[in-house]
Amino acid sequence: MIKLILILFMVVLVSSCATTSMTKYYTEHHEELEIIEQSYKENYTHKPFAIEFNDKGYKNIFLELLTDSIKYIYEFEVNEPRLQDTLKKFNLSPTPIKNLITRMQSIECKGVSMLDYYLGGKKNTLVFLSVKTKDFRWPLTPQKYYILTYYTQPQYYDAQGRLLDGQTRKRLRELNGDVFKRVNARVAYTISEHFR
Amino acid sequence: MYATDTIYTSSHNDAVKYINSIKGLHKSSFWPNINPELFLKNIRDDINTPLDLYQGSNTNFCGYAALSYLPLNYDPLGHALKLVTLFEKGEVQYGEELLKPSAAVRKAAGNLKYKGGLDIRPAEQMWFLSLADHFKSYLNFFNKNYDPGDENKFWAAVSYGKFNRMIKKLFGYHVHARGSDLMHPKVGDIYTYLQEQLKKDGITIVFQNNAYLRKKNTGKLKPGFPTHFIVLLDIKKYENDLIDILYWDYGFRTLRQVNPAILKKIVFGISFISKKNSVHD
Repeated sequence: MIKLILILFMVVLVSSCATTSMTKYYTEHHEELEIIEQSYKENYTHKPFAIEFNDKGYKNIFLELLTDSIKYIYEFEVNEPRLQDTLKKFNLSPTPIKNLITRMQSIECKGVSMLDYYLGGKKNTLVFLSVKTKDFRWPLTPQKYYILTYYTQPQYYDAQGRLLDGQTRKRLRELNGDVFKRVNARVAYTISEHFR
Repeated sequence: MYATDTIYTSSHNDAVKYINSIKGLHKSSFWPNINPELFLKNIRDDINTPLDLYQGSNTNFCGYAALSYLPLNYDPLGHALKLVTLFEKGEVQYGEELLKPSAAVRKAAGNLKYKGGLDIRPAEQMWFLSLADHFKSYLNFFNKNYDPGDENKFWAAVSYGKFNRMIKKLFGYHVHARGSDLMHPKVGDIYTYLQEQLKKDGITIVFQNNAYLRKKNTGKLKPGFPTHFIVLLDIKKYENDLIDILYWDYGFRTLRQVNPAILKKIVFGISFISKKNSVHD
């Protein structure tokens, strides 16, 4: 019985630690995160794209570039000239993208992308940022990520701070099957296995 | 009903004429949450731009989306007729199979939310849910009956065997399958084999481990299982050994550059789908 109580206590402690770590991460880096969001949105208007680091050292990225007909996915080491050439080829200015990548590296932000969601049949978009958690993880359990979603408009939340469907304001809104919580009126977070 | 050795084909124009001839489709008592106007719009969109068909984010519908490439490109009229019949009558004979979705599935279609573009595509919701409800394999053993949210779970999962079976039973195509759920196909050099398939008259669908595609391109990868079906459109190797694969990934055509080691690791199944005899309507 004591063992069971201890295990339950550990589970509660670990899940509570994850939320605390998320809050700590956001408090420490919210200014950088906002700059990343704004910079990404601005560059996205020139050409839809997404960036995702695919290594522990934050030196390699997947660069997704969207045209009318094809989504291109390239893998680059962040300093290799090929990256600059590709950005130019797709009408993206290399300097702001390089700055964006450097900012992401500095706060270990794993990925940034634009996500579509629908409300009342109308398409909306949000900026989706993912950060690999460094919290304790039980063996054989999947890696978790802090997910921050940046909306263009203030959102509705319930009394517990959970993100609501903007149309009905009764149903919890989900993204990738996850329920989100309030950071502020325009930003919501979750801790998820899905990083994109 | 289809003859066993016959494949029906139709043109894009046939399908457009048919869908434009439907005036005032009424709400179906079988599908209470499907808006008839949105339903017709979805079918029309799929006829006009078949590559826009979308499996939805975070669902296990990719197998059903992949096989939809065949009717949308080779028999759009037949497919549209079947979907409208399924909508109006709550059941339809499709190839060798009588699709008669359960009440839970009929209630869910049109009501799936937070799946990106799939939210506003009720005909695709109806089609994917009906297929998942009808076709079962060992992956679905512990979750055979639909409950809300099961579109993301094992209820909707598609094994390699089930995928090939669905194509044969629904469309009557010949499927030459190499590979399995656990073992890589023994076809020699994967790049050469895929290139050879693309030269033939047919469609090549690859069953792959998508997670590998998101890892660093080193070839040093842990074991994994395939989870994703893609329709291969082109493959090209450069002098530096890098390989461009162009594939249809639902909603988009995607071009991804990989090295040969990654290609070998990601591919678990290669299905070459070809017609036996065709009959034009």
